[in-house]
Amino acid sequence: MVSQWQLLKKDRWLLSCLTWIPIVLVITIWWVFSQAIVRELPIGIVDLSHSQLSRKLTTEFDATSTLSVSGHYQNVAQASEAMRISDIYAYVVIPRNFDKSIYRSEQPKVTTFYNSQMILVGRLINSAIVQAQSTFNAQLDVVKTLSGGNTTALTAMSQAAPIRTQVTPLFNKNTNYAQFLVSAIVPAIWQISIVVCTILILAMNHRQYGLNRWLTQRPIKKLIHTLTPYAALFALQGTAFLVWFYLLLQWPMQGQFFTIIVAQWFTIIACMIMGGLFFFLTLDPARGMSFAAAYTAPSFAFMGITFPTSDMNTLAQIWRSLLPVSHYIDIQVSQVSYGVNSFDSFKLLWPMFGYSVPFVLCVLLIKKHLAAELSNRGDHELA
Amino acid sequence: MNWLKLLIEELKSIFSNPVVVLTVFGGVVFYSFLYPLPYSQQTPREQTLSVVNLDKSKTSYQLERMVDATPQVKVTRRDTSIEEAKQAFLNQQVSGILVIPVNFYKDIQLGKSTTLAYAGDASYFLVYGTLVEGLAQAGGTLAAKTKVARLIVDGKPLEYASQHYTPTEQNLKPTFNPRMGYIDYVVPAVFVLILQQTMVIASGMMLGTQKHYRGYWSQLSSLQLILLRTLVLVGIYYFLSMYYFGASFAMHGVNTIGDPFELLTLLLPFLLSACFIGLWLGAITPRRELVTLVVLLSSMPLIFSAGFIWPVESIPQPVVWLSSLFPSTPAIQGFLALNQMGAEWRQIAPQWTLLWVQAGIWFLIAWYQVEKSKTEQ
Repeated sequence: MVSQWQLLKKDRWLLSCLTWIPIVLVITIWWVFSQAIVRELPIGIVDLSHSQLSRKLTTEFDATSTLSVSGHYQNVAQASEAMRISDIYAYVVIPRNFDKSIYRSEQPKVTTFYNSQMILVGRLINSAIVQAQSTFNAQLDVVKTLSGGNTTALTAMSQAAPIRTQVTPLFNKNTNYAQFLVSAIVPAIWQISIVVCTILILAMNHRQYGLNRWLTQRPIKKLIHTLTPYAALFALQGTAFLVWFYLLLQWPMQGQFFTIIVAQWFTIIACMIMGGLFFFLTLDPARGMSFAAAYTAPSFAFMGITFPTSDMNTLAQIWRSLLPVSHYIDIQVSQVSYGVNSFDSFKLLWPMFGYSVPFVLCVLLIKKHLAAELSNRGDHELA
Repeated sequence: MNWLKLLIEELKSIFSNPVVVLTVFGGVVFYSFLYPLPYSQQTPREQTLSVVNLDKSKTSYQLERMVDATPQVKVTRRDTSIEEAKQAFLNQQVSGILVIPVNFYKDIQLGKSTTLAYAGDASYFLVYGTLVEGLAQAGGTLAAKTKVARLIVDGKPLEYASQHYTPTEQNLKPTFNPRMGYIDYVVPAVFVLILQQTMVIASGMMLGTQKHYRGYWSQLSSLQLILLRTLVLVGIYYFLSMYYFGASFAMHGVNTIGDPFELLTLLLPFLLSACFIGLWLGAITPRRELVTLVVLLSSMPLIFSAGFIWPVESIPQPVVWLSSLFPSTPAIQGFLALNQMGAEWRQIAPQWTLLWVQAGIWFLIAWYQVEKSKTEQ
């Protein structure tokens, strides 16, 4: 351990990767999403009616927390141009003679064009517009029914909205996107950092001692000896982000820390095995790093947090099951959101034992490289 | 050495560098298949739902069928109590619950309003959104039907009733990505980032490999070396970009409504900046694998601050400023505007200008660093 510290002091890049870089990355990600809930998305209004009722509808849109009317446009062409460069995310066209048509109950059609290129934004706008316009409709209906006389306000209300709906989000009560995205992105970054740091650690030892001095005789034991202090450091990082999310930021947490921490240890070992495999394939850290990039960079897409796992095809499911973090995130979600008992969560760890295959490969590769080096040296001595 | 000879030497050196070949050609092609893989179904469909029907009237069964008929939702269970449904949900047998209250039918007939309750797991926002959308659709249809039925009971003809049941009609049009497909959402933006990141690795890795040896590059001045490398790599990346924006987009069915000439023009400052960043990284890092390391670690912050996942308006201003130091941010915005949203060239002038400013600044930084690392040797 002391010798590792001596080496680390000389390798400023690796030291940074183990210490401040992950912290900066995680804080940046959290900062991006720190607003937690999307509010005041700019939308435009094309009011062709210029009536009291159309202004009332506009106010209704502006009053929602999601939308903010940021511009009034003379015609559709202008509004559409503004939407193409994301000045506004949607525009609502209120037709000519809007008020007259309502009085004559001709059911005027209010058309909303919203930007669905950005799916999250598109969905939010869609539901906000539907809600605001439904409120507007219900208000008009109530007034109309009441003005007909012979009804109470309550009956008028139920005439306007015969079926009301109540939506209850379970487990992420205020549909806080920060919690849901950040708590998945951070483990993904953690996985990347473990795999690449393992490669850098192995490369550093290889550079310093050479394969022979470092790993001859009982290579597995020596390798474990080299890597153990780092595994402890990664575990510390893992615990740190859990403490930050669920104790300091006080995000809701239904399960037990112990179970998640056990899962983290499995993840760390799996990631280190994969990092080792990438390095010992060629002993060239640059090539190892390229493999690591190909393997870990898209893992967030496969975790099933944004796009559900059940809707992925078989090939995607197979790739997903190769990534340590996707097994980890299942356990994290099962604990944090559902508070499943630990035993059921641990059952999700079974696939992790599959990493014994790359581990065996790793050992075989080390033996091969050692043998090659020995015979090389033998040749030199003969010469 | 004349320029033609140098070009050939440079090409040889690129193609004989296994790491560069692996990253540039292997990486770009591999990602073009791997990245869209999880999203091949485009939208989550048929999310499983448990119905707790406490009413058991004809109308409530009709509602169940209407829910089941929406593409978003599939009724896979019927539970007799909310408790039971909740247990099924916790065992992950269903992803949502719909409760039809007691006296649902009676209340509608009596002209009282009645409340349907939906519950879904909001930790998976796409599943949640899909479920709520499907349920809201079915609920809305039934509400409209009820109002129409009441008007008919009041003695209005059906023709009149079906056109007068609500004061104003809603008509929502998803624009630019009408099928709300996930591939159409992720691929056009992420591919721009992949082009940038692999380009940075390639140009950084070349410099990082060569600076420990002597060769044709040792006789060149820093400026000549930068010029030569940029010329060759940008040339190669023009072909790779055409593969991405052409064949690959077509294969995944992504819109390509931009004018090809405009896309190629926008690529120039983008690729130049990426190449200069790579040269700078190659010069400051003591070992070449560190170039890949920096690129890999920067990917996630870059993608999430580019403004297509989380709206720019909701990202803190300092993060927005930081992210506009790198070409991927204006490039993603520019390419999305041109190719996905059909913006005109003059509309992306801010992005175009920013990219050229970046190219200029990154060029100066790269030049300074390459010169410095040359004198250090």
